[in-house]
Amino acid sequence: MKYLTNISDLDLEGTYSYADYLTWRFEQSVELIKGKVFKMSPAPSVKHQRISGKFYLVIGNYLQAKSCDLFSAPFDVRLLDKKKSSRANADVYSVVQPDICVICDKDKLDEQGCVGAPDLIVEILSPGNSKREMKIKYALYEEAGVREYWIVFPSEHVLQQFVLNEQGTYQLKNSFTEDEVFQAHIFPDLAIDLAAVFVD
Amino acid sequence: MQYLTNISDLDLEGTYSYADYLTWRFEQSVELIKGKVFKMSPAPSVKHQKLVMQLSAKLFNHIAQKATACEVYPAPFDVRLLDKKKSSRANADVYSVVQPDICVICDKDKLDEQGCIGAPDLIVEILSPGNSKKEMKIKYALYEEAGVREYWIVFPSEHVLQQFVLNEQGIYQLKNSFTEDEVFQAHIFPDLEIDLAAVFVD
Repeated sequence: MKYLTNISDLDLEGTYSYADYLTWRFEQSVELIKGKVFKMSPAPSVKHQRISGKFYLVIGNYLQAKSCDLFSAPFDVRLLDKKKSSRANADVYSVVQPDICVICDKDKLDEQGCVGAPDLIVEILSPGNSKREMKIKYALYEEAGVREYWIVFPSEHVLQQFVLNEQGTYQLKNSFTEDEVFQAHIFPDLAIDLAAVFVD
Repeated sequence: MQYLTNISDLDLEGTYSYADYLTWRFEQSVELIKGKVFKMSPAPSVKHQKLVMQLSAKLFNHIAQKATACEVYPAPFDVRLLDKKKSSRANADVYSVVQPDICVICDKDKLDEQGCIGAPDLIVEILSPGNSKKEMKIKYALYEEAGVREYWIVFPSEHVLQQFVLNEQGIYQLKNSFTEDEVFQAHIFPDLEIDLAAVFVD
């Protein structure tokens, strides 16, 4: 297989599949959303990684007695279009690296990562990526059927919990702030104390 | 009338009305929400004030151009909100007095010498460090109950504006989130388009 090592060899207006993605060996990580290439921010901030670490610990502790898996970025998640059911590499046009994801169906895991919708995704906003997390990935996760999506505003100490309704549309279930304790929707007995997450 | 000048003379667990509030001359501004006293942060940041300015200007220009009967007020401006069950506007019966960052009022009968009494049509609150709970939970519930038709919450660091609109049941629905350089329409002014690229100028 021939590898591409220079991202400038890509046509950023072009459409690519997971089969193409597998041939890329760029220094910078990228995500593929509906065939379009999105560069990822070079290195997340301390605040971002601290919050990500707290969620990983708290959710990981809870999942010890469950059959779900927990992954943090970098971890490739391939999402399928609503109409497409083919998992063939050349038919997959979205590959993302969520900050945190929980997958409760082992059939969705292979050597390369996850194929199909995780049950829960957490994205922590960084300066300049709000549109990607709140609009583009929001629509992608909604279409792919990710049951629960948390968006975290690190500077504002806010977490918003979006849950798919019966029509497959995200509803803002609630916003939580500062020192509130909230329950995951898909795990009603998992309570997370935000005071322990937002420690600056 | 005897004035209270020292906030430590208040019982912060107590319940106060607008009649009490009128006797206060504290150095620090306070808000009254369902009778409870909330201290306001001393002075907002430059980023916060820039956002207030940009959004107020856009709202003001629109109202001036369209010659609507609405008025825009930035903080400090007292808004007295009535409980759903209470219709009395008597000072001693009003238990919520807030100073929204920006409010738009389209009913002149709600304005008197002291400010606004009753629900504004649009309120904008810009988050500051440490006030997320007040804006997103406490005031959110208060504005919903009081019938504020549209509520924008602005996340200055994240360059996000969320638009909440009362539905027919009087419950806020997140109409949409807007980010970075998007252009959006106010719900109460469908012909007002605001370009966030011109609002989030750091």
